[in-house]
Amino acid sequence: MVDFSLSPEAESLRDMARKFARTEMAPHAAECDRTPRFPEEIYRKAHELGLMNLNVPTELGGSGLSLFEQCLLVEELAYACGGMTTSIIANCLALEPLLLGGTEEQKQRFLAPFCASYHLASFCLTEPSGGSDAGALRTRARADGQGYVLDGEKCFITNAPHASLYTVFASLDPALRHKGICAFVVPRDAEGVTTGKDEEKMGHRASSTSTVRFDSVRVPASDRLGAEGDGFGLAMRTLDQTRTPIGALATGIAQAALDHAAAYALKRESFGKPIAQHQAIQIKLANMAQQVHASRLLTWHAAWTIDHGARGTLESSIAKCFASDAALHVADEAVQTFGGYGYMKEYPVEKLLRDAKLTQIYEGANEIQRTVIARELLRGYS
Amino acid sequence: MEIVVAVKPVPEAEARLRASADGSGLETDGVKFVLAGYDESAIEQALLLKEAHPPSTVQVLSLGPAARCEEVLRAALALGCDRATLVEAAPSGPLADPMGVARGLAAALRGKKFDLLLVGKQAGDDEEGVVGSALAQLLGVGYAGFVTDLRFDAASGHFRFRRTVERGTELWEAPVPLLVGLQQAWNDPRTAKLPAILRSRKQPIERFDAASALEAAARSLGAAFALPAPRTGAKLLDYRSPQEAAEKLVRALREEAKVFP
Amino acid sequence: MSPTVLLVVEHLDGVPAPATLEAAGLGKALASPQGRLVVLAAGSSARKAAEALAAVGAGSARLAEEPAWDLCPPSALGSLVAATARAEGAEVVLIGGTCFGRDLLGGAAAAWEAAAAAGVTEASWEDGGLVVRRPVFGGRATETRRLEGGRAIVALRPHAFPPLDTTAASFEASPSPPSGAAPASTLRRTGFEPGASSAGPSLSDAAIVVSGGRGLRSPENFGLVEELAAALGAAVGASRAVTDAGWRPGTLQVGQTGKTVTPQLYVAVGISGAIQHLVGMVGSRVIVAINNDPSAPIFRVADYGIVGDLFEILPALTAEVRKARAG
Repeated sequence: MVDFSLSPEAESLRDMARKFARTEMAPHAAECDRTPRFPEEIYRKAHELGLMNLNVPTELGGSGLSLFEQCLLVEELAYACGGMTTSIIANCLALEPLLLGGTEEQKQRFLAPFCASYHLASFCLTEPSGGSDAGALRTRARADGQGYVLDGEKCFITNAPHASLYTVFASLDPALRHKGICAFVVPRDAEGVTTGKDEEKMGHRASSTSTVRFDSVRVPASDRLGAEGDGFGLAMRTLDQTRTPIGALATGIAQAALDHAAAYALKRESFGKPIAQHQAIQIKLANMAQQVHASRLLTWHAAWTIDHGARGTLESSIAKCFASDAALHVADEAVQTFGGYGYMKEYPVEKLLRDAKLTQIYEGANEIQRTVIARELLRGYS
Repeated sequence: MEIVVAVKPVPEAEARLRASADGSGLETDGVKFVLAGYDESAIEQALLLKEAHPPSTVQVLSLGPAARCEEVLRAALALGCDRATLVEAAPSGPLADPMGVARGLAAALRGKKFDLLLVGKQAGDDEEGVVGSALAQLLGVGYAGFVTDLRFDAASGHFRFRRTVERGTELWEAPVPLLVGLQQAWNDPRTAKLPAILRSRKQPIERFDAASALEAAARSLGAAFALPAPRTGAKLLDYRSPQEAAEKLVRALREEAKVFP
Repeated sequence: MSPTVLLVVEHLDGVPAPATLEAAGLGKALASPQGRLVVLAAGSSARKAAEALAAVGAGSARLAEEPAWDLCPPSALGSLVAATARAEGAEVVLIGGTCFGRDLLGGAAAAWEAAAAAGVTEASWEDGGLVVRRPVFGGRATETRRLEGGRAIVALRPHAFPPLDTTAASFEASPSPPSGAAPASTLRRTGFEPGASSAGPSLSDAAIVVSGGRGLRSPENFGLVEELAAALGAAVGASRAVTDAGWRPGTLQVGQTGKTVTPQLYVAVGISGAIQHLVGMVGSRVIVAINNDPSAPIFRVADYGIVGDLFEILPALTAEVRKARAG
């Protein structure tokens, strides 16, 4: 039978994340957004408490959580600050190719020391010339007998300026399209690796984003993940795992927006009564609540599906796409509920609107998600 | 050093409080119970002493309804306590007779060797703060409450500590065994790490039956529980200048509220 | 009814603590019309303390004048209180709910095999038994308890009762030492440091508290809060944001992880009113909030609110308070 209740174990994990989010993250969210500032002290603490490498097995020093458990935590963190959450969970994305495609030797060599203390990793797939068309990578990997030489540029790379490890996708030959792509693990201190300036972003400003350049970077063959040509599949399987937590992240932002809007509506008066007693506002809040609730359930369902061994491409795409659209809408309605105050930086809701926007774009733009959903859907009819 | 910490589950700060159906106490159905803040501080103190004076063990005790106590005991294990004991007693709510709680804990601890017994200064819910000093009397050990800066001098076998009272800070020393009620807000309780939380779910919890210890001739019984009429919110002062706001407030405090010094 | 009420005196060199005078007022009410109010004082200046109580209406006194009591922790008085209560045949023992009273309450109740209640703000006889009322959950609810069994010991919340009126006076001076308890404790006091903020009252003791929060924006600006507190003769408190940021020490923190205060007047400046703060101050009698955010939760629990820029309001308020107190 289906069971929607949380086990005591899951509840205690959620409570722990909630406490961290509300006491460590929330008090600094506005300041890190405004400045903007990359709050390394908070990320260090997140690592120390086991909130960072959630998907890495405990034997390798991670937290070894199921996807469902990860989603519970991510929603709580995002409730306090979407940007910080993006930086905290970036390791999960960057390390997933290693977990999926790495040999035991590679996992021991890279993950054990990485997880033992505070380190950041970045997932280097997107390029200036295109993100959604992942088959058309321009970063080249030339085999030279002893290994490979990487040349190219990646962009919009989360945590890149602070990371010590990159998982990099590069093409042996662009003519081969998907079949020519390889995945590599590249340490930050490899010769020829440089990062660009911190991008000035609309939201998620507590997170750090930059380009990463590879200029004749030598990578030994032992640092390639899987066989030559396995890279594209590895990237797609990685995104199948990490898409669902983006649904959770969006749900957290949406829940925060709803909570702010409802609290304000009970307090703020117009025409002699709290605006929560006006039907126009009640309808708004009711619609927002539906969106938040549906986002959470879709996310839980996708995570449950994947935890039960299915690939879950359809479910995770639906969750990510729906929850991120919902987050933008709910945050927008929260700003509207606040009226003029909502547009002011002194109040928390305009930040939620800016933070929500990114969830529609990153880890597979919603246009791509819809393409995927349609493809998976039509497969069932043909 | 053998350290014991007695902890109490209290409703979380955000809990919505309601009276029970018969009106005599708090409705606990649907209320989430957590470790009291003062108790977190006591556990932190115990763990700091354990780390400073190996080999030491920290045992944590909680008396009350099993499900509720089990959760706070697991939280204590996740923080690093070594053993947990659930002192089972007749159904007793969060506002139970504090003397009954003290007798139940005393029954569980009588004859057991310990060097230090810590309690939070007062539980976050009912603020009795009675249990610590009653427990000390029942077990025949020295007691001080409102304690900060507790240290153990292994050479002399003495504890040294401060006691913050209304007019200043007293310095004290005492030999083992000692029972201490801690003043919060001076240590920064650690947060349980995620793997430790998962591990704590599988650790055993010992049980002690203390039902018979709770009965006594003199007792304190909850008779009624009332929530104040919800505050209607502040009377917001209208003003055109800061001076006018200040004048209006002072006048209101003096003439209406009658609290102006 | 003719109950015997025993009042445990807290004193400093023979001067009774304000909380003891408050307890004396209630003791007299509970003992009237035909009961007795007996005071118990310990220490080398116990007689002076008892006499001060007599001047405000206590009937008779039990004194434990050995200097050794001066050195004992409050918890060591538990057996003395129990022995005296037995000797006097007391039904009720009253203590001011200070650090002294709270430290001896449970031990005395255990030794006397009595029912105990702390933080009490109302007490009366109902159907021959003592019924007490007290705020719980940081003032978010009120609990009524029946103390059964004919032996009850009660610690009163500071400031909840008016001190005994000094006009009444009749002293049946028959001090005699109680038997059955000797000053003994394994605890030894080695020193005393007067409160750091010896200029003002301490936070948990003060009748007025002025607290500042994140809205002050910097440790320097927090001085505005301290100036208002000085003008009001108030203690200074702070929200967790302030103490976490290190602007002021953690001992000033009011709230769930700090102190719970219940003054007559609480002024919250630049504090939004997170639940963690509210549980530490919502039991205050009158609450004033000054904040620029009209939707801040603090306004929901406040009696008076000023929505505005605290950097303008605070100096004006401090000046107005000084003017009003001078006039």
